[in-house]
Amino acid sequence: MSKDGEKSGWKEYIWNPRTREFMGRTASSWGLILLFYVVFYIFLAGLFALTMYVMLQTLDDYKPTWQDRLATPGMVIRPKSDETYEIVYDTRNTETWDLYAQALDKFLTPYNNSLQTEKNKECTPDEYFLQEDTGDVKNNPKRSCQFNRTILEACSGINDRYYGYQIGQPCIIIKLNRVIGMLPGKDGQAPFVTCAAKREDTDKIGEMVYFPPNGIFNLMYYPYYGKKAQVNYSQPLVAVKFLNITTNEDVNIECRINATNIPIGSERDKFAGRVSFKLRINTK
Amino acid sequence: MGYGRSDSYRVATTQDKDDRSPKKKKGAKDMDDLKKEVPITEHKMSIEEVCRKYQTDIVQGLTNAKAAEYLIRDGPNALTPPPTTPEWVKFCRQLFGGFSVLLWTGAILCFLAYAIQAATEDDPAGDNLYLGIVLTAVVVITGCFSYFQEAKSSKIMESFKNMVPQQALVIREGEKVQINAEEVVGGDLVEVKGGDRIPADIRVVSAHGCKVDNSSLTGESEPQSRSPDCTHDNPLETRNIAFFSTNCVEGTARGIVICTGDNTVMGRIATLTSGLETGKTPIAKEIEHFIHIITGVAVFLGLTFFILAIVLGYSWLEAVIFLIGIIVANVPEGLLATVTVCLTLTAKRMAKKNCLVKNLEAVETLGSTSTICSDKTGTLTQNRMTVAHMWFDNQIHEADTTEDQSGASFDKSSITWISLARVAALCNRAQFKAGQDQLPILKRDVAGDASESALLKCIELSCGSVRAMRDRNKKVAEIPFNSTNKYQLSVHETEDLNDNRYLLVMKGAPERVLECCSTILVQGKEQPLDEELKEAFQNAYMELGGLGERVLGFCHVLLPEDQYPKGFAFDTDDVNFQTKDLCFVGLMSMIDPPRAAVPDAVGKCRSAGIKVIMVTGDHPITAKAIAKGVGIISEGNETVEDIAARLNIPVSQVNPRDAKACVCHGTDLKDLSQDQMDDILRNHTEIVFARTSPQQKLIIVEGCQRLGAIVAVTGDGVNDSPALKKADIGVAMGISGSDVSKQAADMILLDDNFASIVTGVEEGRLIFDNLKKSIAYTLTSNIPEITPFLLFIIVNIPLPLGTITILCIDLGTDMVPAISLAYEAAESDIMKRQPRNPFRDKLVNERLISIAYGQIVTAGFALGGFFAYFVILAENGFLPTTLVGIRLNWDDRSCNDLEDTYGQQWTYEQRKIVEFTCHTAFFVSIVVVQWADVIICKTRRNSVFQQGMRNKILIFGLFEETALAAFLSYCPVTHVSHGNLWWFCAFPYSFLIFVYDEVRKLLIRRNPGGWVERETYY
Repeated sequence: MSKDGEKSGWKEYIWNPRTREFMGRTASSWGLILLFYVVFYIFLAGLFALTMYVMLQTLDDYKPTWQDRLATPGMVIRPKSDETYEIVYDTRNTETWDLYAQALDKFLTPYNNSLQTEKNKECTPDEYFLQEDTGDVKNNPKRSCQFNRTILEACSGINDRYYGYQIGQPCIIIKLNRVIGMLPGKDGQAPFVTCAAKREDTDKIGEMVYFPPNGIFNLMYYPYYGKKAQVNYSQPLVAVKFLNITTNEDVNIECRINATNIPIGSERDKFAGRVSFKLRINTK
Repeated sequence: MGYGRSDSYRVATTQDKDDRSPKKKKGAKDMDDLKKEVPITEHKMSIEEVCRKYQTDIVQGLTNAKAAEYLIRDGPNALTPPPTTPEWVKFCRQLFGGFSVLLWTGAILCFLAYAIQAATEDDPAGDNLYLGIVLTAVVVITGCFSYFQEAKSSKIMESFKNMVPQQALVIREGEKVQINAEEVVGGDLVEVKGGDRIPADIRVVSAHGCKVDNSSLTGESEPQSRSPDCTHDNPLETRNIAFFSTNCVEGTARGIVICTGDNTVMGRIATLTSGLETGKTPIAKEIEHFIHIITGVAVFLGLTFFILAIVLGYSWLEAVIFLIGIIVANVPEGLLATVTVCLTLTAKRMAKKNCLVKNLEAVETLGSTSTICSDKTGTLTQNRMTVAHMWFDNQIHEADTTEDQSGASFDKSSITWISLARVAALCNRAQFKAGQDQLPILKRDVAGDASESALLKCIELSCGSVRAMRDRNKKVAEIPFNSTNKYQLSVHETEDLNDNRYLLVMKGAPERVLECCSTILVQGKEQPLDEELKEAFQNAYMELGGLGERVLGFCHVLLPEDQYPKGFAFDTDDVNFQTKDLCFVGLMSMIDPPRAAVPDAVGKCRSAGIKVIMVTGDHPITAKAIAKGVGIISEGNETVEDIAARLNIPVSQVNPRDAKACVCHGTDLKDLSQDQMDDILRNHTEIVFARTSPQQKLIIVEGCQRLGAIVAVTGDGVNDSPALKKADIGVAMGISGSDVSKQAADMILLDDNFASIVTGVEEGRLIFDNLKKSIAYTLTSNIPEITPFLLFIIVNIPLPLGTITILCIDLGTDMVPAISLAYEAAESDIMKRQPRNPFRDKLVNERLISIAYGQIVTAGFALGGFFAYFVILAENGFLPTTLVGIRLNWDDRSCNDLEDTYGQQWTYEQRKIVEFTCHTAFFVSIVVVQWADVIICKTRRNSVFQQGMRNKILIFGLFEETALAAFLSYCPVTHVSHGNLWWFCAFPYSFLIFVYDEVRKLLIRRNPGGWVERETYY
């Protein structure tokens, strides 16, 4: 039982010159088994492709089968820093807030009035912009309503290139996740956003201004018909400007959507129908 | 406490099969030394020489001072207990042995991965931690389970031992003193009487009708007489040595102690036994082989994907985590428990059939057995002398020798028979012990020697109460048997009160009895004993002797009243009456007959390809007769000697190859070289070894093992214990077996019946087949648990199957079906095929891996699971095209507006619920495909339509699996999304693998030895 014996055993296993076997099999044996597996796997791949194809055929092109997970649409804020929902900057240090301004610029570019007028239609406000299909005849492509950047007024970045960040009056833009067919609000009452500080920070938040006024998402932007039918859909936005927020301290803020027909999301999901973030403006 | 202590060594010989520590060279030399024959020479010395050697006195014994000195020098007269294995070591062995190693490695890797994650990430996923904990828990729980299982067996063992302290009567300074047997020293003059246990090896100096029962040492069933003369060179055969721990049956003897404690013959056997190292059990080897394969596959996959991960641009740490993840995913968590439970179930089933298994792994060993070396006395035979034949009226009659008296009977009406029975009953000192009237005659205990007991029972059975007969014929005088006369005679009054003659009856060695006779009783009439009748007698005597039976002759005479009137004083010392011209009545021959079930069992073993070898301490003629009787030497097969006798040529001229059978004498065995030994074992199919010493039994077992056989040894005596331990599986007898043999064995036949071995073999073979199926079943769900992870890494899709779900499968839904396969009935007659070849026929081979990993898995599980996964995601808005590469954003907690294919946006939690639904769907798909898989694994060759669905446990398993899956998918804790569609996604794949495998099996059956069989039959 010397090691040499074992070694030669291994060598023999890898290539046995006597029987011309490579790892215990001759060339034809290898060929046959490989051929079998190739054929077998091609067959399986074909079968899988077939079932997938059949499955995809059953899907609607314009609307997913299930939407129950999206009953409470998510809310997000812009600007967003990398991993966290924290906006922290120093007014004296341009670099710290310039990033936010640039991010907002980039985010708002598609909302430029010129682009919006070019692509989208001016709709009647305060009522749903319904473009239903009649039976099997698809009413496509569907048009979308203009959301002009100027609606955001002081937060549009047109007059104030830095969105108030340099003077400690930052703008936060809030959007509601797109959900196909969702009709938020009820009885002509548009859904609106309200922001408030978390309990212990109530006295730190100061005054806020919403753009458009009252922080509403106008009804004319709903319903959404999906990427394929409504190519140029512009998601409505709400901007919040903090006018005299306490500086040099963390302020935890939560904004939530107010609409009678949007259920309050689960406790687990911190971004369903609400969004929380931390704001800290350093001045000294 | 001497013998009490000696018992404790027996407890300690609980065999630890995996004692593999390399022994020092010296140790090995000692073992070889022990295997040699006993070096006692005292039997050849004169008594004076012995006295001189031990400085003792033949009358006075040792002086107390001398005895104390010797006691200090030689130590107490007790067997040294071998080092016992502490309970915690046994427990650790269960915890870290065999399969557990794999799981431990997995657990450690998990903790390592978690540690890396914890050190590098802020919020590490707990999966690896949980997995590590679960793996540890599984190993510990299974370890405890098997520990308790084996502890239970050893408890049964403990109940066997008796702890009676022994006393010895020694003569020291001329006074008889009763001392503890432990204090007996070399040179002590001891006295033993009937019923005593011999306290040490003794050179007999004087004896009075002393007989000892050496059966525990040599296997010889009849008591041997002891006298001061040296009758044989071999110390084991000579008359003037009595051995430690054998029993004195009758008479008294006085002797000088020549060996004590470990130096005694018995001590040497015990030391030899406890010093023997045994190899791993076949199933342990198989599991090791399996671990190698699994580790190979795991490391191969792990490294491949490690490299792939690096190439794809993952960081080193991430790649290491993946590597560990893949390796761990390959560990079949549930298999350890499955295998343990399967073995336990079989052990339980065997226990019900009277095979008690001490070592769980030994359950399978019997199934792999290719050679059984069986002891004769007590295993193959009933271990009691029974009258087998009678010769009277010039004719041989056969007596019934079966245990339950179900055999044929002979004509009992002949007057000769009545005379013969009367002689046998009267000229007999044996009697039933009191208080056994309610017991069947054959079960009653008898005081007296074996042949007389046999006669007593025989007569009692056919003629009614012997005691009444003796009462009617009062004994007047008696000459007991002695070796010079070789007969025993007694004089009785006759039954007839008017007849005042005395009846003289005599029994003894036939030729001696015949010499005393001048007439013979034929059909109740006395005829002169002419040459013709003498020749008839000779023929009958030879024939019965040739059957290996002990033959006794009987004669009687009615003493003439004129010479011996009533009240005649018979003098037995100086014989004053007629002992010539008697009337010969007949012959009776006795044998220890084979058990009724044995011939059938031997036949079954033979058809199962198992070679049965008889190894006995008994004489060749008896051994051969029994071997022929039970079919170990089958009808028509001849030994070299038989051929020589038939052709009338010298033995040396016979070509040994012509003889299939072989009867080998122990003394010949001593001179054989290893090659010659191998030759015998290889070239003869039917072998009987007679007059073998314990050491030779061991050599025979080693010889068989050298030829690659897996050897089972059955035996009951101490002399068998070295062989029992050396064997791959030692089988001891539960009723008649000595404690030492039970301790050395791995299995105990509770009913002492060789036929139970056949059941054991059958169960062992079945469990091997069924374990294959269980493993195939468990492994098939193993790979689909890895593929999701692989795709997760390579194409960056959301994880299709989570760790928790994997554990749900491995330790939840898979368990009962996997175990239920242990209940599967055999596919064909497993007792008709050859024993498995341990070198070729593996528990897990590359074909099993190939079919489990390569075919069933990909076909059913992976595709079925992935199909369900894609269906769920697509119906929620994420089409497969969108999914590829989505992983980073998908798993990003801060991304709460992830866009799906339709343009909708999802928060992290929302999509995680969908992902969890996918896990559940994947899980349910696996369960659905496992339905088909368990049905596939039911058979390896037959179609399920041939095999049927009679396995109730399996059907229960199917329901249990489904119920558990339903519970896990719908219980309120797990948030799963809407819909029940996923239950149906895997159906086509489940059906596909079922059809695929049925076709595969059909091809295997249609083309035996064809390509499909060669590549896929596991």
